[in-house]
Amino acid sequence: MLDAYVTALGMVLDPYVLFVITASAIYGLVVGCIPGLSATMATALLVPLTFFMPPVPPIAAIVTTSTMAIFSGDIPGCLLRIPGTPASAAYVDDSYRMTQQGKPELALGIGLWFSVLGGLFGTAVMMVASPAIADFALGFGSVEFFWIVMLGLGGAVFIGSSTPLKACISLLIGLMIAMIGMNNPAGQPRFTFDSTEMLGGVSLIPMMVGMFACSEVMRHMISDGGAPQVVVKKIGPIFANMWRLTKQYPWQLIRGSAMGTVIGIQPGSGADMAAWMSYAMSKRFSKEPEKFGTGHPEGLIEAGASNNSSLAGAWIPALVFGIPGDSITAIAIGVLMMKNMSPGPTIFVNNPENVYALFLVFVIANLLMLPLGWAIIKIATRVLSVPRRILMPIILLFAIVGSYAINNSLFDVGVMLAFGVLAFVLEENDFPVAPVILGVVLGPLLEEYFINSMIKSDGSLIGLVNRPIAAVLAAITVGIIGWTILVSIRGSKAGKPAAQE
Amino acid sequence: MKFNDLFAGLVVLALSGLVASASWNLPNPSEQPLGPSAFPLILAGLLGFCALILAVNGARATDAGPLVGLADWTRNRGAVLRLLLVPAAVIFYMLFAETLGFLICATAILVVLFLVGGTRSLHAVAMALAAALVIHSIFYLGLGVQLPWGRSNPCAGKPPCSTPM
Repeated sequence: MLDAYVTALGMVLDPYVLFVITASAIYGLVVGCIPGLSATMATALLVPLTFFMPPVPPIAAIVTTSTMAIFSGDIPGCLLRIPGTPASAAYVDDSYRMTQQGKPELALGIGLWFSVLGGLFGTAVMMVASPAIADFALGFGSVEFFWIVMLGLGGAVFIGSSTPLKACISLLIGLMIAMIGMNNPAGQPRFTFDSTEMLGGVSLIPMMVGMFACSEVMRHMISDGGAPQVVVKKIGPIFANMWRLTKQYPWQLIRGSAMGTVIGIQPGSGADMAAWMSYAMSKRFSKEPEKFGTGHPEGLIEAGASNNSSLAGAWIPALVFGIPGDSITAIAIGVLMMKNMSPGPTIFVNNPENVYALFLVFVIANLLMLPLGWAIIKIATRVLSVPRRILMPIILLFAIVGSYAINNSLFDVGVMLAFGVLAFVLEENDFPVAPVILGVVLGPLLEEYFINSMIKSDGSLIGLVNRPIAAVLAAITVGIIGWTILVSIRGSKAGKPAAQE
Repeated sequence: MKFNDLFAGLVVLALSGLVASASWNLPNPSEQPLGPSAFPLILAGLLGFCALILAVNGARATDAGPLVGLADWTRNRGAVLRLLLVPAAVIFYMLFAETLGFLICATAILVVLFLVGGTRSLHAVAMALAAALVIHSIFYLGLGVQLPWGRSNPCAGKPPCSTPM
């Protein structure tokens, strides 16, 4: 293992990889800082560029960009009360109140310092836990994997979503999109409408770019979107009180980091849910809950650590089972597959150095966040005033070129547009978009595991549950789905009398 | 465009029906118990079930507006036009990229979108040209990707200066 780590260190310290890490760090910080541009969109736009790189730099780019963007989403939340990414929404009241009290450096310092600590905590858990889980999972067959994918999809739809039924429809649409083409156990062309371009299935990159970038541009077009006014003129020393706060609130830091990691591991719930739950937990256990929302550091510390640690947590199921924890890891899994590094327990046997390189990138990205995060905070007031009416057309052009570049195909540009429109219409009607991408990424795997399991058992459904681990996984999956259905039925019954009053 | 749940449910139900009928007769060359049609049929069944619940819920809801309503932004004609410019720009690129070349198409798209966003005309042209050149350099010089040069450009067909890394 140590040898693999030494090899991995060599791969990561390659000047080209270091350049990619630094460039993605700056990119992630700037995009995360601009309200309306999400961390997911930042990652999706990056994918076409990474298509032309060897395996390690793309992973480095995605990890670094998402880590940085989740932190820098705190900046507009603090200075403008507009969270830069959804993950910063939970504690925006507290941090903005600090700015109003003339202490923006305190809120931003907490965001930066405790993001780094939370991120390092999550990374440590990931480094220890994922090889161990992978070792255990090496004995899994197609049946176990079928249920793990089901568990991942079920969790994504039924736990992380406010509208489970619509999320379920989104997921099924995604799974159906994955059916297009010849990539199925029988090798038969399906739903290709006799088009040769469709034989290989819907290309993943144009689809992601369309869903996360093109639709974002369309949403901007219907808003009035000028640059928001920044009132803060000067930001004081950022790290001044951090050591004191760390000693004052050690429990909050540890609890937030642990909670974030666990929520990240659980499929379907990402950084935003981690932040909300940690903020609520912090308030619940605080000695001074009445101070929450008035510019109190406690909740900021816990939730700020939590959302960054969840990023590393989300990579554990992604690497070990190939199940994305959120849309960013879904994109990352797509990239890994394109690089012939399909995630799964065998990746720790076949490509350990690539996995360890990913771990090291996480450590480097979190450490690099200290100086670069400091720099972005210092120039934040200027970054925030970049008008979005200039940025959005450029993003659209980038989306067009990125989709085209993969295969030099204008057909892919059309795919990008089609999925942009689809995502826009879905979101306008409150259908979440993330389950679609999970469905597309996991669809081929789910079908393969299902068909293989059924062939092994001669078409009998009992074959899906007659191995102990599979049975346990099946029970958990059915439990999650059943529980959600029960809650929503009760909720609609309880909600009706209230609505009639 | 804002669909109420009854309408959305019916649309999705129709979709599931289409998928089911399209996958019903898929050939099964290897004579496996579960051929290529099995999985799409299961999905179509689940989707149809979800769509039915959505439609029923939508039909029962008392506060659901018209079947197909219009969101607030549709009353702002500028917003609708700006929105339509996005697909228009992409389709323009698909139709003319090979004849006019990337640089001309990209600059044209950006100029129009900048102007619509309210940028002054001289600024818009300058920034559009600069952005198109930067994006072209990233892909052509940095990644070795050939973007369309256009029919009349002397550079057309020449290999990129650097090879992909």
